[in-house]
Amino acid sequence: MDENTTGRKILSLVLLILGLVLLAAALWMDITKTYLVVDLGVKVALRGLFLVLGALLILAGLYYIPTVMHHRTIINIIFLFPLLFTFAVTVIVPMFVGVFYSFTDWNGVSYTRMVGFENYAAMFKEAAFIWSLLLTVLFVVINMLLVNLVAFLLALLCTTKLKGVGFFRAAYFLPNLIGGIVLGYIWQFIFSNVLTTILNSPHSALASTNTAFIAIIVVYVWQYAGYIMLIYINGLATVPKDVLEAAQIDGANDMTTLFKIKIPMIAATFTICTFLTLTSAFKQFDVNLALTNGVGTVRNFMGQRLSNGTQMIALNIYNTAFARDMYGYAQAKAILFFIILATVSLIQVRISNKREVEM
Amino acid sequence: MKKYLALLLAVVMVLALGACGVSTEQAAAPAAAPAESSSDSAAPAASGSGIRLFNGKIEIATPLEEAAKAYEAATGKKVEVESLGGGVDLQATLKQYYQAGNMPDIFVFEGKPDLANWTGMVVDMSDQEWAKDTDAGFVDDTGALVGFPYTTEAIGLAYNKAILEKAGVDPKSITGPESMKAAFEAIDAKKDELGLTAVIGYCANATELYWSTGQHLFGQYLDAGLARDDTTYFDMLMDGGKLDLDRFTPFAEMVGLFNQYSDPALLVSGNYDMQVSGFAGGKYAFVTQGSWIGSSLTNDYKDLYASAGNFECGYVPYAFIEGIDTILTNAPSHWAVYKDGNVAEAEEFLNWLAGPDGQKIMVEQAGCVSPFKSCTAVATDPFAGPISEFASAGKTSAWHWMGQPSNLAQDFTGAIFQDYAKGDIDTQGFIDDMVSTIPQCING
Repeated sequence: MDENTTGRKILSLVLLILGLVLLAAALWMDITKTYLVVDLGVKVALRGLFLVLGALLILAGLYYIPTVMHHRTIINIIFLFPLLFTFAVTVIVPMFVGVFYSFTDWNGVSYTRMVGFENYAAMFKEAAFIWSLLLTVLFVVINMLLVNLVAFLLALLCTTKLKGVGFFRAAYFLPNLIGGIVLGYIWQFIFSNVLTTILNSPHSALASTNTAFIAIIVVYVWQYAGYIMLIYINGLATVPKDVLEAAQIDGANDMTTLFKIKIPMIAATFTICTFLTLTSAFKQFDVNLALTNGVGTVRNFMGQRLSNGTQMIALNIYNTAFARDMYGYAQAKAILFFIILATVSLIQVRISNKREVEM
Repeated sequence: MKKYLALLLAVVMVLALGACGVSTEQAAAPAAAPAESSSDSAAPAASGSGIRLFNGKIEIATPLEEAAKAYEAATGKKVEVESLGGGVDLQATLKQYYQAGNMPDIFVFEGKPDLANWTGMVVDMSDQEWAKDTDAGFVDDTGALVGFPYTTEAIGLAYNKAILEKAGVDPKSITGPESMKAAFEAIDAKKDELGLTAVIGYCANATELYWSTGQHLFGQYLDAGLARDDTTYFDMLMDGGKLDLDRFTPFAEMVGLFNQYSDPALLVSGNYDMQVSGFAGGKYAFVTQGSWIGSSLTNDYKDLYASAGNFECGYVPYAFIEGIDTILTNAPSHWAVYKDGNVAEAEEFLNWLAGPDGQKIMVEQAGCVSPFKSCTAVATDPFAGPISEFASAGKTSAWHWMGQPSNLAQDFTGAIFQDYAKGDIDTQGFIDDMVSTIPQCING
């Protein structure tokens, strides 16, 4: 920094002050709703112009701050600013706003009062919510096992030297390219129209809670196994040939090779796949919505008759917000959901990491 | 070199930020100057010129667009019609629009629970011309007229007149549970001869048709046979979810009768399309849907309807107790004008729509039954005649199910209708489940 420091100091100060003034003006316009509009060929609202100019001036002011020590840090911050800002606006701020709303009686448009922890207390007394929570846990456990098993078997099949393996890979992966809602409606047609005709049953599997739950699992595995299969194929391809050859020379049969060599070698892939299936099964929403919309009778749960027998937690939260107009309450449920999901994921990654083989 | 690079990056940043700025400015501009920017924007929704109408009735989407075009031709003012429906959560969509600052100027709402979201955000229209011409407008608790009635709908047990004639059943003879049962039996006996799949097209699929069972059919228990301002059973329901078993038991028996005589393929696992197209094609003598299917008969299922002989339709009351002789008619939903939108043009459009030119399109093309007294247009809709018959004889009841909690049908009663249809529970089980479940919803 060899430039005239007093000059820089003044320049920096002027820029910073000007920037702050412009920002304050823009804020003031926003709050008081006084929109000044100037005509520069196209009509431009001054508020937005002030906001952008103010932000730029502040950045310039920061750049000219006469310091040698922190100059590099400041530059880093300036260049990171667009990303940090975007991240803050789209992730950090909504998260805090969400936490805030969970303590209110927000109905999606406005809120009238703060309710403290009422929302959080209420959800543990709501039988329908507890049911959804337990059902989701069951769904996750079953799916994590089934999807990984099916996907791994498919991957083994697709890494053999069969003819037309490429076709099968694509075919198994294809369901994953169809959106969940569309897929749900396709399968709804299959369950309600096709299967009832074939099996000659009076009503579809979707009409009873138990069979509807199995139906959701089937559809989910069908949709997701192909995707996980691709990751396993990738994993299996990374197993070094020399190791496999050595095993062969030692006289290991296919089973032994699979369990003693291949599976330990791709433990990292198992981590990724269990993690993916775990979180995505937890967040299951679209197939659930399209297939049953959560309908299902539970005759007696916590002393109540429930009608949401196949409703997963994500759909429960959605319905709480959109069907019951209880956005604040739904927000509280969503926060609990987030905490559960974050905890489970962290624990799961920890455990799996220990098993991995160092290459 | 480094300096130039920095300069370049700075320029890129300025442009990027500038781009963000411009888009926010465009969004902010209409709110800023509705008066001055009246001609220069291409997108009517985002400018002061033209209005956006959020229609919740997908069945009348095309005629509404026709009306908008006619209005534009007459006045030069644009109306953009956005139609959603058929199970889409309208209020949720509206809330998203609200959060995004993208509120339509006119939007649909159903009854008090919906309106509660928009307290203080809708315009009182009691000073409007159309208000003098109808009493179907929606008046809120403060006495402000906030809802424009765009149609009247009816819910009764719809029948296919041609089939009933062939079967030798006089619809007028259906006045109570015994005569209804007798009529069903008579038609059922001649089912093959009449080419029927089943006597009645009744569907209790809780995933897709909870609104038909849990709202419209259940609404018969609440209102059938009562005077238009009688809310006895609705008040009981809202008071802790109480049901009057003297009235509810025969209602349950009627639903049981529907279960017995409905098409098994439709009953539990069918859907709305199957139900309506089945009726249009002459496969069912009765159908448990209201007058809105009229426009589906004459538009979507035109060919089927023609192949079944363009039969005449009619209504019998859901006479689950001897002597119930009314069908339910109401404005199914109303249109509100958004306070911060383009109020003047929105009101102007509504006045035009309520006038002779607008009503002509609404009645003749959309098949709406006009709620306006001055309307002279005659609908070609197959249900328009039967509705006015009941209306002129004073045999209509209002419906009040729109005041019940918005999730009652979807999360509670719909599944009970389905269980009953499936045969998991009998009539007594249906009654018991209703009695024990409804309070869970009403009491939160």
